[in-house]
Amino acid sequence: MQPIAPPPGPPKRNLSETVWTKLDRKATAIAEFTMRQYRKKRSTWTVGAVGVLLVVIVLLFYIDAMSEGFESEDNDGDGLIDEDPSSWTDWENSQYANRSISGPMSDDDGDCLDLEPWMRDTGNSDGIDCNVVYSYDRNGMVTSVSSDMNVDEDPNESEFLEEASHRAFLLGFGKFGFLFILGIFVPLFLATGLIRDEMESGTLHYLVGKPIARAEILMYRLLGFVGLAWPYFAGLFVLSALVTGFFGPGESIYRFSDLGIWFGILIATFLTVLAYAAVFITFGIVAGRFGVLVALLFAVWEFFMMFLAMIGVTREMGLASMSVSFWGSEIINSTAWLVWGDYAMMSGQTIAIDIALWTVWYSPFPTTSPLLNMVISIVVLLIITALFVLIGQSSFKKRELN
Amino acid sequence: MMPDFDQVGEGQTQQEWQKPPAAPAIMVDHVSKWYGQVIGLNDVSLAISGGVTGVLGMNGAGKSTLLKIIVGRLRPSQGQIRLFGTDPFKNPAPYHRLGYVSESEKLYDWMTGLDFVTTLARLHGMTRDEARARAEHVLDFVGLSDVGNKEIGKYSKGMRQRVKIAHALVNDPDLIVLDEPLQGCDPLARTTIMNVIRELGAMGKTILVTSHILSEIERITEQIVILHNGRLLALGNLHSIRELLDHIPHRILLRTPDPRNLGRTVLPHPSVYGVRFPTPEELIIETNSLSEVHQDLPRLIIESGVEVTAIENPDDNLQSLLGYLIGGRS
Repeated sequence: MQPIAPPPGPPKRNLSETVWTKLDRKATAIAEFTMRQYRKKRSTWTVGAVGVLLVVIVLLFYIDAMSEGFESEDNDGDGLIDEDPSSWTDWENSQYANRSISGPMSDDDGDCLDLEPWMRDTGNSDGIDCNVVYSYDRNGMVTSVSSDMNVDEDPNESEFLEEASHRAFLLGFGKFGFLFILGIFVPLFLATGLIRDEMESGTLHYLVGKPIARAEILMYRLLGFVGLAWPYFAGLFVLSALVTGFFGPGESIYRFSDLGIWFGILIATFLTVLAYAAVFITFGIVAGRFGVLVALLFAVWEFFMMFLAMIGVTREMGLASMSVSFWGSEIINSTAWLVWGDYAMMSGQTIAIDIALWTVWYSPFPTTSPLLNMVISIVVLLIITALFVLIGQSSFKKRELN
Repeated sequence: MMPDFDQVGEGQTQQEWQKPPAAPAIMVDHVSKWYGQVIGLNDVSLAISGGVTGVLGMNGAGKSTLLKIIVGRLRPSQGQIRLFGTDPFKNPAPYHRLGYVSESEKLYDWMTGLDFVTTLARLHGMTRDEARARAEHVLDFVGLSDVGNKEIGKYSKGMRQRVKIAHALVNDPDLIVLDEPLQGCDPLARTTIMNVIRELGAMGKTILVTSHILSEIERITEQIVILHNGRLLALGNLHSIRELLDHIPHRILLRTPDPRNLGRTVLPHPSVYGVRFPTPEELIIETNSLSEVHQDLPRLIIESGVEVTAIENPDDNLQSLLGYLIGGRS
């Protein structure tokens, strides 16, 4: 009997020929092409240079401000400024330290530790010994300061104010400088024309006439923009983080504690820029040659929403959440609460200093967890991005290319 | 035939399960296209598979509209278009087998020719290396290999046309659609491009090429489609179309120092029914069978012993062809 030859197996599948790698090739081809195209355009360099210039100027102002001192003020309204506990008699550590002296006067250095245990929580009765309780209204503004007996609730402002200003600067710069001004204008100038300019110049058919869905072309063009914009922003962040870290207050050479907030600003700006790019590329397709006009109107809307958020009237109205910038700044707010443990106190103490510190927490969702608020904000931004990409894609698909 | 999902046991023969025959490369089915009140194409039906086909028409006849609909840039207002059986406006799959050279002269001037073709080759799913090798190959094919590394912005018009053709050939397409590929080229570039198109035709590809100049198309192919005011006027072999119009007189113009002597020799020919002398140096022969006269003309000229400096067919251009086809209306 003759041995039966085994049936020929399925043809060996070359791993480099899967659908995914083919998609991948097209994606990199278009993204790469888009980035090279940017490099050849003067507008790209202009927008980039203006952005760098803005950031450098703001950082110079920051350095200038940090090298000047800060004036103290009376936070708790007791007529004393910078109530320095060390100038008082330190009973616990004095020669009378081990004597039994009862009464509130025995501890006056602001740490309240030498009080009788039952007295340590008198004053605000919050269940925590030697604690200061700051009460806030819904906008994060301090309405009252209530301390336990003998605790110093009025810190030294020449240090405190500097610290607070530094943080306010980081938040303000992150929100208005990066997230808003640069975050909206870079996509406005560079992403609006991604498809529209090709349509108008009559070169789109080179890309569209290839075996690749138009929806993919839009996605990969967007990818090319992101490939340019994200590293650009990352570079500006590194510069800003270095300058504020070295020139900021504190004893250490570099403020590593701020890296967390910079990371938050980075995430917020990346996602916001992506969302704006999706919005503008879609405007470019849908509105054609009026794309820039529509995009500008949108930018005005965003600015108006940011303004409302700043003056703090939108929380009740829930109107500001109808903007991209709102959700980006929510990510920064959440990061501030996560990264700076004493953020509540800081923001409470510095009402007069900076809007950036107290415009926190507008989330229309009933949550008190900054982490949850951050996750919600990220998801909302991604949904906005996806929504506009889908609108752009379906409009692009139906578009005739004359 | 639908498969028997319900399992009721209706017989299905082998023949019913046969694959449908391969779809034609281009199938245009009662396609009309209008832009507002203006009609671009009016009920055009056409199926093309194999060979080189010339699409002829005056400016504004609807050639570009037809081609744009064929390659899926425009959607027909009415009717259907199928490329290899698929609607190209909805599905980019047929682009795997299509090369399209648009009439637009816009190119990415900042790219080099090689970069341009390589980048677009990668959109066919090739790897970087494959794409580059293919790009070099097609640039060589259209005769641009020595300027491949120059920026397209520095190319001459003929080079720009050829780089457009190169990009269309990079995926080794079965169907090539060229919209006015000879427009604005100098004679040398024209010849090169015509040779390229003929060569591609000889390779067995389906080629559709538009032009408004009859003599250009004649040098490439005999299979033509004539469009006029958005309508399909005629379709088939160029010379058969001409032969069909035999009742309409054709004219042959001869330039000679002694037209009267030559006229005397030619007049007895059975197909010739008249001669005219528009100038002392010219002779016009009127005939209803161009081919027969052309066949005998060299012999007659030798017989007459008259020197002839030029022979022209003044009617053999698109304008007069159209004139005949629409019977004086235009």
